[in-house]
Amino acid sequence: MNLLITRPRYDYTTRYISAWAEPVVQSAKSKGHHVLDLQEERANRQEVESMLKKQTPEVVFFNGHGSEDTLTGHNGEVILRTGENEHLLSEKIIYALSCRSAKILGASSVKKGARAYIGYIEDFIFMYSSEKRTRPREDRTAALFLEPSNQVPLSLIKGNSASRAYRSAKNAYARGIQKLLTSRTSKEDTATIRYLFWDMKNLVCQGDGSARP
Amino acid sequence: MDQEKEIQELVIARLRTLPDGKEISMGADGEFTKEELIEHVRVNDAVGKKMIDVEMGFLRALKEGIFYDHNEFADNPA
Repeated sequence: MNLLITRPRYDYTTRYISAWAEPVVQSAKSKGHHVLDLQEERANRQEVESMLKKQTPEVVFFNGHGSEDTLTGHNGEVILRTGENEHLLSEKIIYALSCRSAKILGASSVKKGARAYIGYIEDFIFMYSSEKRTRPREDRTAALFLEPSNQVPLSLIKGNSASRAYRSAKNAYARGIQKLLTSRTSKEDTATIRYLFWDMKNLVCQGDGSARP
Repeated sequence: MDQEKEIQELVIARLRTLPDGKEISMGADGEFTKEELIEHVRVNDAVGKKMIDVEMGFLRALKEGIFYDHNEFADNPA
């Protein structure tokens, strides 16, 4: 399987999500999948379009800022925009760790042939520790959000369906919330619940849920 | 006090309980400390309105008691 992943890194948000995508990259490689890893400057429109056309990845994992109708790469460059190039996602299963892109871009991608689009219909919100922001992978607060999110691509890498990958992430969010509600946790961790719930409820799966990589 | 103002005050009170030393990433809107979030709620701009949606959505879910059956709330998250 070919996995295309974008990892822009130019502000704290993109530093965090790109750093936390590393376990996905490692997992895919350990399973013998071919990983097309577009980091920093390489997460640009030209490279993304070229990879989508020539390498025909079965799964695409976008990390970056977004809006209802766009996904962006490094330094906020728009790499996908509704009505311009979402047809390039045809025949692919997509997970977009990005704000709001499932609202219009996801639906439009499915209409234009994407097998499934998993993403968020609202802002993806997460909390992080100021003192850890230069070492995102050591941040246990951010992990409460980014580990459940990673369940989508990790499940797809295992060959599970889009629907199962989506459910896996939803359940990971739910388990995390329940654990925080019912066990002895610090005030700091308890404060994350409202945002975990927000992310969980705004995660959607569009298209053919039975699609497998 | 009208209802909108009451909700605004409630959300500000809840945001005050956020721990120090943490920031909130709200995607393209940026990253915010709790003091900055409180100010956005106070001036009722787009970021403030988003915070109100987040807090009120959570409080409604809490009221409905859906958090205690994780299958239920993962399937039907309000």
